[in-house]
Amino acid sequence: MRETWVAGAAMNRFGKMAETGREAGARVALEALDRAGVEPKRLGLTIVSNAFGIAEHQAHVGPLLNTALGIPEVPSFTVESACSSSSAALHEAFVHVAGGFSEAVLVVGFEKLSHLDTLAATSYFATGADYTFESQNGATFPGLYATIANAHSQKYGTTPEQLGAVAVKNHANGARNPHAHFQKEISLATYLASPMVASPLRLYDCCPFSDGAAAVVVVAREALPRPAAEPLVIRASARAGDIGDIHDRESLTSLSATRRAADAAFQRAGIERREVQFLEVHDCFTIAEIVALEDLGFFPAGAAAKAGADGTTARDGRLPVNPSGGLKAKGHPVSASGAAQVVEVFEQMNALAGTRQVPHAEVALTHNVGATGSSCSVHLFSRR
Amino acid sequence: MNEETAPAVHSIAAYVHGYAEEKRLLGFRSGCGFVSATWGLLCPRCGKRDLKEVTLSGRGRVAALTVQTVPAEEFVNDAPYAYVVVELEEGGRITGWIPGVRGPEELFIGAAVAWVSSYRPGLQFELRSSSPEDAG
Repeated sequence: MRETWVAGAAMNRFGKMAETGREAGARVALEALDRAGVEPKRLGLTIVSNAFGIAEHQAHVGPLLNTALGIPEVPSFTVESACSSSSAALHEAFVHVAGGFSEAVLVVGFEKLSHLDTLAATSYFATGADYTFESQNGATFPGLYATIANAHSQKYGTTPEQLGAVAVKNHANGARNPHAHFQKEISLATYLASPMVASPLRLYDCCPFSDGAAAVVVVAREALPRPAAEPLVIRASARAGDIGDIHDRESLTSLSATRRAADAAFQRAGIERREVQFLEVHDCFTIAEIVALEDLGFFPAGAAAKAGADGTTARDGRLPVNPSGGLKAKGHPVSASGAAQVVEVFEQMNALAGTRQVPHAEVALTHNVGATGSSCSVHLFSRR
Repeated sequence: MNEETAPAVHSIAAYVHGYAEEKRLLGFRSGCGFVSATWGLLCPRCGKRDLKEVTLSGRGRVAALTVQTVPAEEFVNDAPYAYVVVELEEGGRITGWIPGVRGPEELFIGAAVAWVSSYRPGLQFELRSSSPEDAG
């Protein structure tokens, strides 16, 4: 395989978009291409993620996006992997470029659900779970992650205050991120006073429904002798799957897809965990960040809940986690979230992160989960 | 669990028909011993094809729970209610809901529960032990 880079990445402000997903996707794509110094005409392929495009009455959106970018002749296809859609698309882009099939590939993820009411949006999200054997038995996505939190609490003694510490930390980071849906800090008292959604998860344990778009430009090193920005070297791109239904898995407190994707990524990259300086992990709910840090191998099982509360994972802590604010505060436009994690790594490694800049930004990991862990992507990046 | 010799039922419609019309919880037992209440063609644990149809007891203990204040679409008039993962007495797990549970203090991991042969859709369970002491 040849050395493959993320040469540019960009996103819009997550939250509520007035324009369509297709328009937002095209705009961030052009911004990412400009950051990379790559003209659209150089693209050999575009890969689009828009899991809930049907909510905008639009499927097969890739050719429309390419037409808007002036490259209707370029092939395009859509990758859907629930909340890990655009990281799955990034993996496919990596395979195409590293394998020599394309010199440059564009990944774009976008979602627009804000025109739906909460019940409708919750129902769209629920289609990512097993509709017959989970959703129709009463589960929502908060409910499914709540069972993980309940089992984790029973096994390891995880407390509401430890869940709350994740929310407080990620809101503090989001408050410094102009891309974030929520740009306000919260206190632990505010967290504890927020209404219960699915016990033990409260409103502030849950990521918001967000609109948003993010794009990543993947190129072969040899195709870009003079990059316009400091590129991210993709040291590893790994994916793993698991049994679709949580209840049929061996463990109710751990996501084996994360463990397997992480082990594969570290092995392929030849990087040790202690070399990773910051992480963007999938924190659709606070418990998800805790479980992710354990399954990624940065903390023993049952030990990550303390890391938020004691400052270890703070922006200026020993291991900054979700300096962007994560899905929790930055927002979670389903198909944009994986690509947006890479935007954060790109901005951190290019010193574009402003007041949320982490102390060391040479080696980073992104972790993006589909549904409740039946799909998972782990990417490792470093500077040249 | 009533073990049968027939190959596993390979249709979700048959599972749903079993819940709604036959008052029967269909599932399969794999050659590796894994018991599942979820439809499949091959065993998700061992990857083999030798799945045997079983009728599950519907009796077991709560392995994980949540009380949903914000309901799923089909349960909009039922909130709050409990969504439970049940460890079946014959092995394997199944999910379902328990109406009328107002908070997590009314339910606990290890509580004995049983399916009440109701499918609306949603496999409805009832609590058979009211405290951890009752649950043994």
